[in-house]
Amino acid sequence: MANQHVQNLTIESSQSSPSVIADWERGVIMMRGESYPENSFSLYEKILDWLASYLEASPRSLQLDLELNYLNTSSVRAMIELFDNLQTAAENGREVSVIWRYDARNPRAAELGQELGEDYTFPFTILAIDP
Amino acid sequence: MTTPFPRGHHDDLEQDIVAALENREVDDAGDRELLQRLWQRTGELVARLESVTDLSEMAPGCQRPTRNLLARYERQIKILERMIRISDRNQSDLKRLNQALEEASTHDQLTGLTNRRFMTDRCRQEDRRVERHGGSYALLLLDADHFKRINDSYGHEVGDQTLVELARAFRSSLRQEDLCSRWGGEEFLALLIEANLDEAVGVAARSIESSRAIRVAVEGGDVRITASIGIAAHQPNETYADTLRRADAALYEAKRLGRDRYFLEGFAAD
Repeated sequence: MANQHVQNLTIESSQSSPSVIADWERGVIMMRGESYPENSFSLYEKILDWLASYLEASPRSLQLDLELNYLNTSSVRAMIELFDNLQTAAENGREVSVIWRYDARNPRAAELGQELGEDYTFPFTILAIDP
Repeated sequence: MTTPFPRGHHDDLEQDIVAALENREVDDAGDRELLQRLWQRTGELVARLESVTDLSEMAPGCQRPTRNLLARYERQIKILERMIRISDRNQSDLKRLNQALEEASTHDQLTGLTNRRFMTDRCRQEDRRVERHGGSYALLLLDADHFKRINDSYGHEVGDQTLVELARAFRSSLRQEDLCSRWGGEEFLALLIEANLDEAVGVAARSIESSRAIRVAVEGGDVRITASIGIAAHQPNETYADTLRRADAALYEAKRLGRDRYFLEGFAAD
């Protein structure tokens, strides 16, 4: 793999947006926190761009590791976009997966994960985190 | 004949299509032109739908892979359906959270009784009810005797446990329609709706009695507690704050007379 392509993406969390760490070497995008930013596009555009260049530059696998407690409607829309892109990659033979982590004290968050993961053929794992 | 969309909106294209369909004479050139306009319109409608639901459409210059119109349309409908489902789920989660917060804002965490804020609202409501429809109520103000000694001798945990027991004793001494709240540190206030003298005294006597029965186990024995109660009945033209002041004065009398008792204030002798 060409080294000049290696680049990580790090976005600090704020009250209304999650932290994002996209690790090129490991092929992992981690998102933690709550997502109800005023402009969800400017946040998710960076992630979508990173994902696109990662998928283009390397044949390696990708894991999306999510721990999101709250998503507003436009963040849900962005999530669907991310997942759809993963689905396209999976259909092209790429190894992709999603881990949806939720607070064990809030079992309803698992249902949200199930709802989001419906319709995709790649592995979509829902995991409880014990606080 | 009805046009599918947009409803109530004057639209030349749709009228032309309807007219062409009703026209029995063949007009190839006109039909072709119409078909072209229809095709363009369909594309515009799908693009408009995408601009609502699709993230990438928000970014100028960001292109989706080319798909046919029906596929694009179906994709958007699917996204919308999912967003509505997820949004509904979010809203019911928030509703539930709201209920939990409301519970927390109206109840005392330690004893589970309603808190001072809730009771104040309830007393104000009662004032309005009495003013409009007549009737009366009584307030019972209960205070734990020598509570500071328990805290000082056995610590706050035992003190808290004693308060929990006292709250339970007070509440179980009330009639079904009465309300009881934690008013302050070791002070509890009960609102007795439409209580007559006998009933108010009965509640107070039961509360004193059941307070005496409280035992909180500590190393080497039990902690006991007694309570004093001031009783005041609401008088015409006064507010709950006035009634409460008199209940407080009565409580002071009960304390002054040696505690572990109730004192009655302001019941009209009838």
